[in-house]
Amino acid sequence: MKPSLSRQKEMIVESLRLPKDTMLGDSIVTVTGNREAFIENYKGILEYTKESIVLQGKNCRISFQGKGLSIDYYTNEDMKIGGNIESVRYF
Amino acid sequence: MLHWIQYVKGYVSIKVWGYSTERFLNLCGNHDILVWDIENCGDYYTMKVSLKGFFALKTLLRKTGTRASVLQRHGLPFFVPEMKKRKIFVFGLLLCLTFWMVTTHYIWDIRIEGNYTLTEDVLMDYLEEQGVHTAMRKKELQIEELEMQLREEYDIITWASLKVDGTTLIIQIRENEIAGSNYDGQSDEGMTEPGNSAESGRDIVASRDGVIVYMITRKGIPQVAVGDTVEKGQVLVSGAVPVYNDDTTIRRYQYYEADADIMITYEKSICVERKTAWQDKEYSGKEKKILLFGFRDKEWNLSAGKVPYETYDISGEKKQVQLLDHLYLPFFYGVKHAKEYAFVPKIHTDEEMNQIMEEEWNKILKTLEEKGVQIIEKNVTINKNEKVWVLNVSMQLMEEAIMKVPNRTEQIPVTESEEEVLTE
Repeated sequence: MKPSLSRQKEMIVESLRLPKDTMLGDSIVTVTGNREAFIENYKGILEYTKESIVLQGKNCRISFQGKGLSIDYYTNEDMKIGGNIESVRYF
Repeated sequence: MLHWIQYVKGYVSIKVWGYSTERFLNLCGNHDILVWDIENCGDYYTMKVSLKGFFALKTLLRKTGTRASVLQRHGLPFFVPEMKKRKIFVFGLLLCLTFWMVTTHYIWDIRIEGNYTLTEDVLMDYLEEQGVHTAMRKKELQIEELEMQLREEYDIITWASLKVDGTTLIIQIRENEIAGSNYDGQSDEGMTEPGNSAESGRDIVASRDGVIVYMITRKGIPQVAVGDTVEKGQVLVSGAVPVYNDDTTIRRYQYYEADADIMITYEKSICVERKTAWQDKEYSGKEKKILLFGFRDKEWNLSAGKVPYETYDISGEKKQVQLLDHLYLPFFYGVKHAKEYAFVPKIHTDEEMNQIMEEEWNKILKTLEEKGVQIIEKNVTINKNEKVWVLNVSMQLMEEAIMKVPNRTEQIPVTESEEEVLTE
């Protein structure tokens, strides 16, 4: 069976040892303790409340659940979330 | 640093509410509009946006069906127009800054450290002569040259260092301790070698009339003996020591600095008159406060009007304006108090007069003690009458009343034959 286009792309990037985030558009999530999260390579904000922040990545959505969540700053490239993060979910 | 940039560029706190606020935030990101400190407050969001970004929000708000209102303005672009309304304040601020910047280019205080023999006044006078004074420009100060001049002018100064700390000129000097005693012309060695001392030989002469009671000569030829009466200026010990020929004639003189302990006794009478009547100052309790302002040596009264009293005492204090630790400005301020008084004629009681006379006598004793004068014999009487008390003191005193003067004995000219003998 022939691998899908995305799988083929992934294999090429892996074999050439190219950065996956730039080539495949994967989001990078850096979580420091449960107080702050730093997200790069996201496409937009889908939901923003004190309990939940949902971001749209290129391949998936990322959901941050917690209490007192806030966006400290964001640009087109990256974003910083502060607050009490309870869970991070990809769907 | 980022805060400073944001402050300089200016930013606003805004409140955003409406149909699709998340879309509004996404569009901000896509349009490179920097938004930070976003908070969800239930129905609305609050956030901060740069001034430049704020003006670009209009289309985004329309597109997303949201509305925004400004909550607060921050930063320099808002501060400056605010200040335009307070022109005098800004003017004062600028004036203050200018004043500060200008005054820091001048010397406002001169501090001298390490001087023991040389007094501060002497050094200050010298510095003034050299054009170094307060309120002079720092640029005009030739530090190395002045250090050299100080060392050259005063032999006692072995090391001098000048440095400018803030607006204070600090002069640090080291004095030569051995030379310190020579500075006032008194040599510690006391003796000069013959031969090269032809010019520096000194005699001891009496500094007052009296009788010699004690005499020990260490160097020189005594001209008087114990029990002799001497006059002021009379040579007591000669610094010219004769060298005799075989026929006891004087061949030549060797000059020394005469050295001897000589005590001279003499009589002295002192008469002190004190009147029993005196005028006491009676203060009325009225006082006028005068504010004063000074610049360098000049002084002005800030209070209006003249002092309304006929006789008054003035007391007060003034302070030099000082900024930070070493920044002294040439301005003075202070307060003077003019206290009114009136003279009231009074008469001393006998008890008071006794006390006054005792004080006068103590004053005489203290003066004599300071001069190193010993009292051999004294006779103190007080003559009283209603108006005047007179203290009569006749004393026999003893002191080392001598002084050294250059020797005046002329050298005997050397004849040719003598010269031959000398060279042999």
